[in-house]
Amino acid sequence: MTDPTTNAHSFRPPAWLRTALIGRRPKRMLARIVVLVVAVFLARAYVVLPIHLRGTSMLPTYQDGGVNFVNRLAYARSEPKRGDVVAIRLAGQSVMYLKRIVGLPGDTVAFHKGHLLINGAVVEEPYLNSGCDWEIPPETLAPNLYYVVGDNRSMPEKLHEKGKTPRQRIVGRVLW
Amino acid sequence: MKKPVRLILAVAVIGLAIWGWRVWFPGPQNAIRARLLKLARTVSVEPGEGAIPRGLKAQSLGDYFTADVVINLEARGFDTRELQGRDELMQAVMGAMQHVRGLKVEFLDINVTLDAGDQSAVANLTGKATVEGERDFEVQEFNFKLKLVDRTWLIYRIDTVKTLSQTTALRPSQVPVGL
Repeated sequence: MTDPTTNAHSFRPPAWLRTALIGRRPKRMLARIVVLVVAVFLARAYVVLPIHLRGTSMLPTYQDGGVNFVNRLAYARSEPKRGDVVAIRLAGQSVMYLKRIVGLPGDTVAFHKGHLLINGAVVEEPYLNSGCDWEIPPETLAPNLYYVVGDNRSMPEKLHEKGKTPRQRIVGRVLW
Repeated sequence: MKKPVRLILAVAVIGLAIWGWRVWFPGPQNAIRARLLKLARTVSVEPGEGAIPRGLKAQSLGDYFTADVVINLEARGFDTRELQGRDELMQAVMGAMQHVRGLKVEFLDINVTLDAGDQSAVANLTGKATVEGERDFEVQEFNFKLKLVDRTWLIYRIDTVKTLSQTTALRPSQVPVGL
């Protein structure tokens, strides 16, 4: 007659499987996993946020379906600059807008015959590959407000999400 | 039993107790979040769902709103629309539900701010709608205003937040509560 208790204890997975699963030193392995999980959590919360790009408003610079990262520390020591592509939060960071900053606080922003005008002067935008006929009257930005717009100006102006955003909504700058 | 194992077990039991307490006795903020998530599921339409279940779901919307609810919708590319009263809302939702193959509605990042007496609240959230068979989705930020009526949180106003047309930054704690 066999003793079931002895049988249960006698089963041991092969050594290579044990090594692959829990390493040679399980305690160290566990410590490494904990450190890795904490490091990933902290990096995601405070340093870089992975994003999946959806939509066409940033064509041709960013393709629909692409992957990128938002650098949360980009503006820790400096303020956003004109031309930066930034992530802007809605109620939270589950879904964000990806837009380019074209107007800084205090600037007067307008579109005339599809050209971007900052303080009355036409701004060259080398990242565009399509013209447009947008007409948006001049508007001076209050302190703390930035004007953001997508690179795809071939979209009808009314369907293109753009406008003013407070500094607090800017989560960070995309890495590339 | 070894000391570390006992310690881990104790932490697990305490965590389980806290989780259970929050599930069975949710605070006002969690109760509002749970209610809004349930509302999102109610207005979602499963592909192939029959007309009768859709109608019943639209009818059950009455449980979430006050009779005099006001809803301001300002979606990009569409005219502004204001719905006044629960009946008008239910008719509009019922009409919309009958015309879509499938619709998944989600409320994300729900930030709840309660007033001093815990009798009314504002929930700032991102609404996400995905139509069955389409790859893209629509997102819109909203402020839901709720009040406590007979121990039930009812929505009395919904306003569209124009995220990229703001003049000032509003944090959830700064959103005014009340009528």
